[in-house]
Formats: sequence, structure tokens, C-alpha cells
Amino acid sequence: MTFREINSKMVEATVVPGQRLFSQRGAMLAYRGQVSFTPNVQGGQGGLMSMIGRRVAGEAAPLMTVEGSGTVFFGHGGHHVHVITLSGDTLYVEADRLLAFEGTLRQGTMFLGSQGGVMGMVRGQVTGQGLFTTTLQGHGSVAVMAHGGVFEIPVTPQHPVHVDPQAYVAHHGEVRNRLSTALGWREMVGRGSGEAFQLELSGNGTVYVQASEEKL
Amino acid sequence: MNARTSVPPLWQTAPLGVRSGWVSTHGPCSVHLPGGYFRSVAMFRLQGSKVLAVDMTGDAVKAKNGSMVAYDGQMAFKKLSGGGEGLRGMVTRRLTGEQMTVMEVKGHGTCWFADRASEINLVGLRGDKLCVEAGNLLATDAGLRTGTTFTGLRGASQGNGLFTTTVEGHGQAAILSDGPAVVLRVSPQYPLIVDPGAYVAHQGNVRQSFQSGVTFRTLLGEGGGEAFQIRFEGDGLVYVQPSERNTIAGDV
Repeated sequence: MTFREINSKMVEATVVPGQRLFSQRGAMLAYRGQVSFTPNVQGGQGGLMSMIGRRVAGEAAPLMTVEGSGTVFFGHGGHHVHVITLSGDTLYVEADRLLAFEGTLRQGTMFLGSQGGVMGMVRGQVTGQGLFTTTLQGHGSVAVMAHGGVFEIPVTPQHPVHVDPQAYVAHHGEVRNRLSTALGWREMVGRGSGEAFQLELSGNGTVYVQASEEKL
Repeated sequence: MNARTSVPPLWQTAPLGVRSGWVSTHGPCSVHLPGGYFRSVAMFRLQGSKVLAVDMTGDAVKAKNGSMVAYDGQMAFKKLSGGGEGLRGMVTRRLTGEQMTVMEVKGHGTCWFADRASEINLVGLRGDKLCVEAGNLLATDAGLRTGTTFTGLRGASQGNGLFTTTVEGHGQAAILSDGPAVVLRVSPQYPLIVDPGAYVAHQGNVRQSFQSGVTFRTLLGEGGGEAFQIRFEGDGLVYVQPSERNTIAGDV
């Protein structure tokens, strides 16, 4: 595994020649060995079209490419860091939550409207994700940031999981998500329980939830 | 040798969710009931130190408004106006400024609660009384009664008003602290003095008084920053957080 959690807020990454890492720009804390950091104008992988796609989608988090041989320490803003290892499946995460990921992963942008149509777009607005989200696919590991600790909840076909949109971090696997509303007359008269909107995740996979309702 | 015993937090001493892990206090506050009251109530357990998981089987818990982060199964959320204490409680809370927005969560499954990445402490109540600031109370068993009491000068020095919230009955409550809280025991021989800004909650048969160390130095602006303290006497437990709220007392 490329990433090793040193404590809850720092990860150590091993860089070997021929293997690239991408990380959020400015997230390097220290490094050992011969490592070069080059700002990535394209904001990730893919060609010019992907770059334009990300710019338009507002999912263009400033990234840098990390190459060479040595070890690099990453951390950002005192946020908790969680390492997720992917083996062929797709991780859905917001671009600004990405701390670092391996170059073996394919990065893409997904239109939320493609999952659930108009409701998908509404969901993006409510959760503050916007209309687009970042996907990472392939084999490798990702370091994701969250406010407070992250805990995983398995999603199985028998057990759909409901998550507060503000506490949602990421999910992977064959998971459908849907915005479920519990709007009643109480919400209309300002007497809501503060849990009017929930993300309902069903299918087969894992959802990552943070111990806080604060965005990064 | 005979110094104050610091009771380690629950989650370090007992496996999660084990009933026997409740802090047992001796003295008038520990009423050992026959095991009969362990009815099918909501099970509180800590997942890490910042997330509270509650397993419910059709029963209800009261929780701070908007503190749910995830759930599975079927849950219904309903706001309880005035903390679910009826009209009188509602008016009292309005008047005392101890307003808390509480929701009732009811259903089958597991519900996870967290609030702004604060540390969570589980408190087991066996008929005794827990005093906690309304803002530090995350969740309680529905069977516990909540109310408000007058705290005297202490409240004013803490910067959160003259009143505090009380929780009474049999069951579990979860309180929030900024950083992991230490649980300190107060016994008749050993009174405890706490910084008002670091005080979170207390439990048991404890009297509190306000003490000040104001001298002419304080008046000259050369105080040590510890001009006011709360003194606890009696028999019980006090929860103290490793962080200090901004209080008037902290400035002088």
C-alpha cells in the first residue's frame, strides 16, 4: 500500500520511480529523498477535454504531480485523513476532499443528473456537492479528508443506509443514491427536526461518514 | 497515596455497549435497583470517540436537533418543542435561556449521532441526577426526564447563563465535550475545584459553590487568569474537558 496513516491527520506516501502520485496542491508537509512536485495545470489526468470538463464542472481542485523516489508526508488543514483502497471499483468523492491518490487510478467527473435525473441535480444542490462529483476508478489507494473522524457503514441490499448530506464523505461500490425527503408540515412552519433531507444509499458497497456536520 | 482517584472514561475500561461498564458511584446517588429495569431500551455505544451509535428496536431517544449523521432501518425524526417537557418546561426554557432544540428519534435499526467532531461521553444514570449545559447534551434515553435548575453565580461565570439542564431517571445519556473529558470523583474528604470554562457536567449528590481568588493584583490587571472557580463538595462525579470556553473569569 502506498499510503500509510501515521496518525489520524497525516499520511506517509512512498514514491518509487515510474509511479506517480497526485496530491492536492500545498498538502505536502515534509519529504525524504529525491522527490519533485510539479503543479498540474490540467488538474488531474486525462487530456485537454477532461481538463475543460473539470473546469466547467467546478471540480478542478488544484493538484500537483509527485514523482521521484522517497517518502512524502501529506496533511491539510488539520483535517482527519482516511485511506481507502480500491480494487477495481469506483469511488465517488468531492474534489476538495481529495488529499492524495495514486496515479494508477483513473480520475473522472460525473454529472449527478445522470444518476437520478432531475432529483440527482437537486440532490447535488442540497448536499452542496454541486452538479458534478469526482470519480476515481481502478486499483490503488486514496487519502480522503474529513472533519472529525471517518467511519464506514456497509451498504447491503437488505440494509439501505440513510446519511445526513452534510456528514456524507464518499462512497464506493455498486451503490445507488437518492435524496429522500422527510418534509412534513412541521418543516413548513419552521419546527423541523433538522433532518429534512437525507441521502438514501442502497445496493452493495460502503459509505464513508464523518463525525461532524461541517463541510471542509 | 490517598489522592483523588481519577475515574477513566467508560470507553477505556469496558467493552463498548457492556452494561457493567457503567461508572458505579458509591454514596447516596447509587441506587442499585434489581435488574428489572433493563427493559428493551435503546442501546448506546460509542464508535470511536466522536460518534454515538444507538441501536433501537421500536423505542425512542431524544437527541440534539440535527445531530444525526447516518442511520439504517426505519427512523422517524420529530422535533420536540421546548425539549419535550410540556408547556411549562417550554416556557421555563424560554425564560431561562436554556433553550435546547431536541428531536425525538424513533424506529428500528441503528442511528449514528455526532456533533461538530466533539468528543462524546456516555453517562449511565441510575436514579441520580446529571447537571449539564443544554449545549453539551447530545442524546438521552427517552425514559430520562429533563428539566432546568438555577445554578447561582456559577452559571454567570461560565458564560452560559444562570440556569442549567438536569437529566434524571434510569438510562443513558451522551454528553459532548471539547476534547476527551476526564471524570473526577468528589468525595466528602476531597472537594474538587474546577475552572468554570472547563466544567462540562456533574452527577450525583454534589453541592457547588463559587469561589473567587480576586486580589488586588487582579484589579491591577495582573491576575493569573484563574480568578474564579467552582467548588464541588459532597459525593459524585464531575466531567471536565481539556479546553476552556471563553468566560469572563478567564479574562481576569
